[in-house]
Order: sequence, then C-alpha cells, then structure tokens
Amino acid sequence: MLMNFDKLGTWRWVLAGIAVLMALFLLLPIVFIVALSFGDSRWLIFPPPGWTMRWYHELFADPRWLQSAWTSARIAVVVMVLSVILGLLASFALVRGQFRGRAVLRAFFLTPMILPVVIIAVALYAFFLRIGLNGTFTGFVAAHLIVALPFSIIAITGALKTFDPAIEDAAILCGAHPWEARARVTLPAISHGVFSAAIFSFLISWDEVVLAIFMASPTLQTLPVRVWTTLRQDLTPVIAAASTLLVLLTVVLMIVAALIRKGKSR
Amino acid sequence: MSYLHINGIRKVFGDVVATDHVELEIAQGEFMTFLGPSGSGKSTTLYIVAGFQDPTAGDIRLRGQSILNIPSHKRNIGMVFQRYTLFPHLSVAENVAFPLRVRRMNRAEIDDKVRRALALVRLDGLGERMPAKMSGGQQQRVALARALVYDPPVLLMDEPLSALDKKLREEIQHEIRRIHQETGVTILYVTHDQEEALRLSDRIAVFNQGKIEQVGTGPQLYASPATRFVADFVGDSAFLSGQVQDMTGTGATLRFADGTMLRDLPLHGAGRPGGAADLMLRPERIDLTPGRGREGASLPVTVEDVTFLGNSSTISARTPWGEVLAVRLTFGHPLLGQVRRGDRLTVQWQAQDAHAFARD
Ligand SMILES: Nc1ncnc2c1ncn2[C@@H]1O[C@H](COP(=O)(O)OP(=O)(O)O)[C@@H](O)[C@H]1O
Ligand SMILES: [Mg+2]
Repeated sequence: MLMNFDKLGTWRWVLAGIAVLMALFLLLPIVFIVALSFGDSRWLIFPPPGWTMRWYHELFADPRWLQSAWTSARIAVVVMVLSVILGLLASFALVRGQFRGRAVLRAFFLTPMILPVVIIAVALYAFFLRIGLNGTFTGFVAAHLIVALPFSIIAITGALKTFDPAIEDAAILCGAHPWEARARVTLPAISHGVFSAAIFSFLISWDEVVLAIFMASPTLQTLPVRVWTTLRQDLTPVIAAASTLLVLLTVVLMIVAALIRKGKSR
Repeated sequence: MSYLHINGIRKVFGDVVATDHVELEIAQGEFMTFLGPSGSGKSTTLYIVAGFQDPTAGDIRLRGQSILNIPSHKRNIGMVFQRYTLFPHLSVAENVAFPLRVRRMNRAEIDDKVRRALALVRLDGLGERMPAKMSGGQQQRVALARALVYDPPVLLMDEPLSALDKKLREEIQHEIRRIHQETGVTILYVTHDQEEALRLSDRIAVFNQGKIEQVGTGPQLYASPATRFVADFVGDSAFLSGQVQDMTGTGATLRFADGTMLRDLPLHGAGRPGGAADLMLRPERIDLTPGRGREGASLPVTVEDVTFLGNSSTISARTPWGEVLAVRLTFGHPLLGQVRRGDRLTVQWQAQDAHAFARD
C-alpha cells in the first residue's frame, strides 16, 4: 500500500475520527430502535424516560406477530435452499461452461440486482394475477428467489473461480465418478461460498419488504409486512421490539458469515 | 506386444493440430518421457491417455485392449499434475485414502495401504497435516502417493516439478527414480527440461509441433539425433550452414560459403545436391589444437572470446567464412591458459560426432 497508517502522524487521528463518525451514522438508527423497544414511553420519546420489557411481552402475546415471524422464516428457508441449488447449477455453467453468450447469460442472471425492486414487484404482481400466485406461499418464494439468486450466484461463482478444475480432474482419475468428484471434492472446497450464498439468500428474503407488500394477503404476511402495516395503523413501541428482533437475527447471521470468511482465509 | 500402445493419435482443436500421428509403444515398467517445447502436444497426448480428451483419430491400447471407450474414472490410471491438486479440505492421509474410499475398500486395508504409500514417498508421520501447511515439494510427493496407492498400471506425470526450484527439483527427481525402481510402475512423464528427461528416463520421445521427431534412449538421442530439432533440443550444439555438393554411399559433401568442403558427413533428412544443409557440432565433442588437425574432420578458426566457467571453459571460435561455434574445454586441457583472442588454431572432431541436417 502507498499509505502507511502508522506513519501518518496526526492524520491518523483525523482518519480514525472520520471512521467513527461513519460507523455512528450507520449504526445510530439501529441503536435508536433498540433503545425505544426497551423504553417505557408509549409515544416513542427519545431518550426514553424509563425502561421496560412490556413491548416484548405484548409482542409475544400477540399470535399475529408470531405467525408472521413463522411465515417469514418458512419462506426464507425455502428461498435459501432453492437459491443455493440454482446458484450452484448456474455457477458451474457460468464458470466452467464453454459456450457462446456466457457473458450475456451472466449479466442476465444479475439484472434483478440492478433493476429497481418496485419494478420487479409491479411486473410480478401483474403476472401472478394472471396465474393466481398472488398471496400464496409459492408466489412469495418465487418473488424472493428472483432477488436472492444474483447474490447466491456471485458468492458461489466467486468461490468456484478460485478453485482449480485440475483438482476435480485429479479426483476423477482417482476413480470418482464426475458427480462424486463434484460432491466430495469441489463442493467442500467451495463450501465457504455456498454458506455465504445461503446466509445472504436467507437474509434477503427475511427482511425484504417491497415485494412482500405486493405478495401479501391478510392471511399470509411476513414480519416486515406486519411491521409496515402496523406502523400505518398505530405507532406502538411493539414495532420497535419486532424490529429489534429482526435486526438481531440479521446481525447474528452476518457475524456467522464473517466468521466463515475468516475461517476460509485462515 | 507392447504394454501401452499410443497408436496414431491425432487431436485437432478447431484449426489447431495439437498432435499428429503420435505413435509410440511402451513396454511394461518402462519410464518414457515426452520431451519438447511448450505447445508441442505433450500434455494433449497425456490427457488422451487419461481420458480427459478424445482423440480426433487413433487409438490407445493397454495390454492390447483399446481403452478409449472407458471413462476416465474407470481407467484406473494414476496422474500427477503440473499444478498442486491435493484436495484442500482433506488431510494428507485422507487425500491418499481417497482413491481407496471411492473403491469401497475396508478400513483396515485402506489404513495399511495409505501408510505404505506415505512411506514410499518418505512422508511417514505427516498424515494428519493439511495440504495448505505443506511445501510445494511435499504436496507433489503426496500427489504421487495418492496416484500410486491403487497400483495403477500406468502413471502419468505432467511436468510435476516445474513449479519447484532447481535444488528441490533434483532432489525429487532422485525420489521419482527410486520410486520407479521400487514399484516397477510404467511411467509416462512430460517435461520441457532436457536434463530432467535425461536423468529420469529409460527412453525419451522428442515432441515438436505435435509430432514425435525421434524416440530413443538419452545416449542415442545425444549421439545420433535424427533431426536438426532433436540435435538442437538435446544437448548443446552449433550449426554451420552450408550447401550439399554431392551425395555418395558414404555420406554427403557439404560446401561452405568460402569454398571449404567437408566430405563423408552422415546426412539426415531429405537432402539433394544444391540444397541447403547444416553441419552440427557439439561444443564438448570438439577439440582445439595448434597443429593441422585431423584430415577431413577439422577446420581452421580464429579465437573470438574465452569464458571461464569453473570446471570448463567455453571458447568462441570463428570459421573462415565468419560463422561462430562454441568449443568447450574441460579444466586441465593443455591449451587452456594459453588461448588468447585472435589466436589462429584448428578445431577437430571424431568423424561420428559430425552430423549434417538437410533444411527443408
Ligand atoms: N483445450 C484446448 N483448446 C484449444 N487448443 C488447445 C487445447 N489444449 C491444447 N491446445 C493447443 O494444442 C497445442 C498443444 O498443446 P499442449 O498439448 O498443451 O502442449 P504442451 O503440453 O506440449 O505444452 C497448443 O497449440 C495448444 O494451444
Ligand atoms: Mg503441457
């Protein structure tokens, strides 16, 4: 590197200061929400005049919240599994395949990442209306899969590109059927990419709200949709409690993802 | 009947001819090396034996049976690759056990064979190591153990040492020789390093532009190269360009630019009177003398430069028509220490050390 941090003198304090400010800027909303979820003011006053667990009790006492959480989890798990399977198949084709239009196909797979989600949502809504998938579990999974798949493909192709195909060839000459070689040698060797793909796919579905609002029905609502609809009816700190739990799971999974990456580079 | 028969293999990629009519018969237990520059079709031939590529034409026969219809994973062939190919998530012992696991052998037998394979490559006790924690040389030894543990009839090695430094390379070359002698396995070895080929092989097949130029033992290739390419690639050599004056039963007469004639030279290739041909002389097979030199096997030269290289010295000598050839004198040669730039001397050689190659 051109700049050596240790030799910057007073500048390093300035840099460190900027870094802290940036981190605060990113983290403050979350800190806010967490504080409010434990605050005893019904009107979301900050800083809270006192502390309470009351909103968590209310949250867990309301079966609709639990049901939404359960719906979210089910959808996210199915999206995760499908996204990893399709991501693996697509990645093998994109990295190993020798065919015309490979670059075009890759760009095509990644378009949901750059397309505004609301456009995908409107298009899917119109399409699902015709085939009767709106408000169904399948519709939810399909919609989330579209936005999760690009992340899965990026994570898995990234791992697969650094894996030398000669290692797979070696396994085949050792007597393993090509599929056995992929399952027993290639897959474990790119497992860090597969785990990242799984975690990101789960999270994308878990906290996705735009598509979910379009897909939701009164009986089938994910947690973010419940937060959103509740928010519009009344501004209760229960929402802060629900959001805190949402964030908590996200943070835990991000930490797991980071640990996997670290384990890989060890 | 040969053990392994590479029968007229031709492989075309688009409009690139990677190998053309490669024909080779290998005996059981033989150490056969493919030697040639990069892109000459060595790896392609090896990959066809391994089954990773199908030949455009030709056949591969093992003990008289074609193996082309057998998929790679059922050919039971061992291979060590140029790049490191240990399975990164498995320990050394698990890597070596892998071929036995896929063959569904029982635990006790696997443990026993793995232990013996690791002992063969002198890595006893390192079974628990992970590949990432091993040096390049150690990784290739493990790869060798993994390729030999299931007693393959043929072991393929595609430049396995090219990523290692010279000292380590020589050390593992000795190991490979020892392992070949201990196991008696038939080896096809690919390299672009002539020293490596000469050190290891029973026979060498010299590849050039997808074709085999010559097959023979190291001494055969060195003493009687069949083509100019082989003469150039195996050992050091100087080429003096001349013209075929005439051809008789005992050899050709070459005429050089200043009118010098050399007679009775063995001529390789399709020569014809009037055609261009080169005289090949090896630096260590010629001598310098202050006298007149051997009749018909000598040339007057002028010394251009003297380079001391420890156990030998190289002298650049200019022929009467201006071409330069190198002469190597070993330490202790009576002329060394006296030769100066500009000295007029004579180079001479034994008749069997001069070869002429027709240019096409
Ligand atoms: N998969 C391939 N596709 C296209 N051309 C190839 C392929 N493999 C090898 N070739 C070409 O075939 C020729 C021989 O290659 P190779 O057998 O790898 O040579 P070597 O191992 O002697 O260096 C080269 O010109 C190379 O570019
Ligand atoms: Mg090669």
